[in-house]
Amino acid sequence: MSLSSMFNNFKNCVARNYGEHPGKMLIHTGIIGWVLSSAAQVAAIVINDKIPKEQKMYLIPQEIADAGVNIASFYLITQSFKSLASKLVSTGKWLPKTVRTFLDNNGYSNNVGKVAFDVLDDAKLPADLASSYKGFSDGIDVLATTAGSILSCNIVTPILRNQIAARRQQTGIAKLNANKSSDSSESEKPQIVKPQGLRAPSMTDFQHRLYSSPNLKI
Amino acid sequence: MAVNSIGSKNFISRTTNALSQRIVNAMPNMTVSSQSTLNAVKWVGQKISSPQNRLILGASALMTQPFIDLSNKKVDEETRKVSAARTVAKIIAGTLTGVAVRSGCIHGIDAFTKFASEVTPNMKFARLRTLFTPNGVVLHDLNQYKKSLGTIVSLFVMLVTNFLIDAPLTKFLTNKFVDQIHKKDALKNQKSESIDSIQLSSKNKEVVNES
Repeated sequence: MSLSSMFNNFKNCVARNYGEHPGKMLIHTGIIGWVLSSAAQVAAIVINDKIPKEQKMYLIPQEIADAGVNIASFYLITQSFKSLASKLVSTGKWLPKTVRTFLDNNGYSNNVGKVAFDVLDDAKLPADLASSYKGFSDGIDVLATTAGSILSCNIVTPILRNQIAARRQQTGIAKLNANKSSDSSESEKPQIVKPQGLRAPSMTDFQHRLYSSPNLKI
Repeated sequence: MAVNSIGSKNFISRTTNALSQRIVNAMPNMTVSSQSTLNAVKWVGQKISSPQNRLILGASALMTQPFIDLSNKKVDEETRKVSAARTVAKIIAGTLTGVAVRSGCIHGIDAFTKFASEVTPNMKFARLRTLFTPNGVVLHDLNQYKKSLGTIVSLFVMLVTNFLIDAPLTKFLTNKFVDQIHKKDALKNQKSESIDSIQLSSKNKEVVNES
């Protein structure tokens, strides 16, 4: 396949999928943003020569797990908001008055609110009403997507992240204490020097990881 | 095997439909009759795209995330303050860059996504004006397409700006905010120390007077 036809395919794919669906575009580009931002974080750890290999083995899965939480919460919440809002509009539960009057006058009122019913496909709206319905539907789509993103990115994800990080920190400190106590009980035995990269992460390490990692949302 | 998979697909689809129906039933009916509300909703659908969405997310993040960090009782007060300062810095840097890059990319794409009928020979770069115009899909309005393509391009641009602009700007702002916090704390400590010393000296005077 030539470069030019690949470029054409890409343009057509964007036009087909997002050319008339602003809400869908916001969700998908939001997810791509999270994925790229997380990939950049992982890459930053992978290419950082100052981090010992053993610590990388711990940090990389941790970064991937963080990305998983971010992406899953963003997708689940935002997509649910968008799907619900779209369903409420397409089944006729939420409508402009002009469209509602048309449905009532043309015997569709019994179908309103049924998931199999689609106002645009089934009710054969006249062109002016179809255009007004489309504008309303797009607006509700964007409003729902924005509300979902605010809830997921600004409330749910930070709370989840703090909870997970605090739990990790406690586990790390417990491990550190366990290591210290086993070290002191073995102090009379011949000392074996630990390689530096194998030390258990300290509280400072956890706080540093949690509060100073770039983790920038694209 | 095939019959089984069709059966399970039907079961999943029936269950999903039943669940959707329950949720839709639980939601109230809403009929919007106000023309200004309808115009506002339509405006949102047409005008709000990824830069505005990022701005809204940034503004609302400033109203929630620092407070979530400050109320995280599982870490000490100093860490809470530093994390909130870093969050504010990250939001400001991320939002500024995010909005600017998205907006720039959408404008750039817009300039080179024209219908052939819109291009006139006296235009600059006339031959390139249809570079991003889709030619296999019929769209009556290119607006949403331009915004989508611009946003996708901006995501890749931001992979670079994330390191070149966001990270240094976040570091700079965090240091500024942390310095401010430390200065305020030092001032508070000084005040409380001076109040303590005044109280102590007045107590001493009282003791001397009584004796």
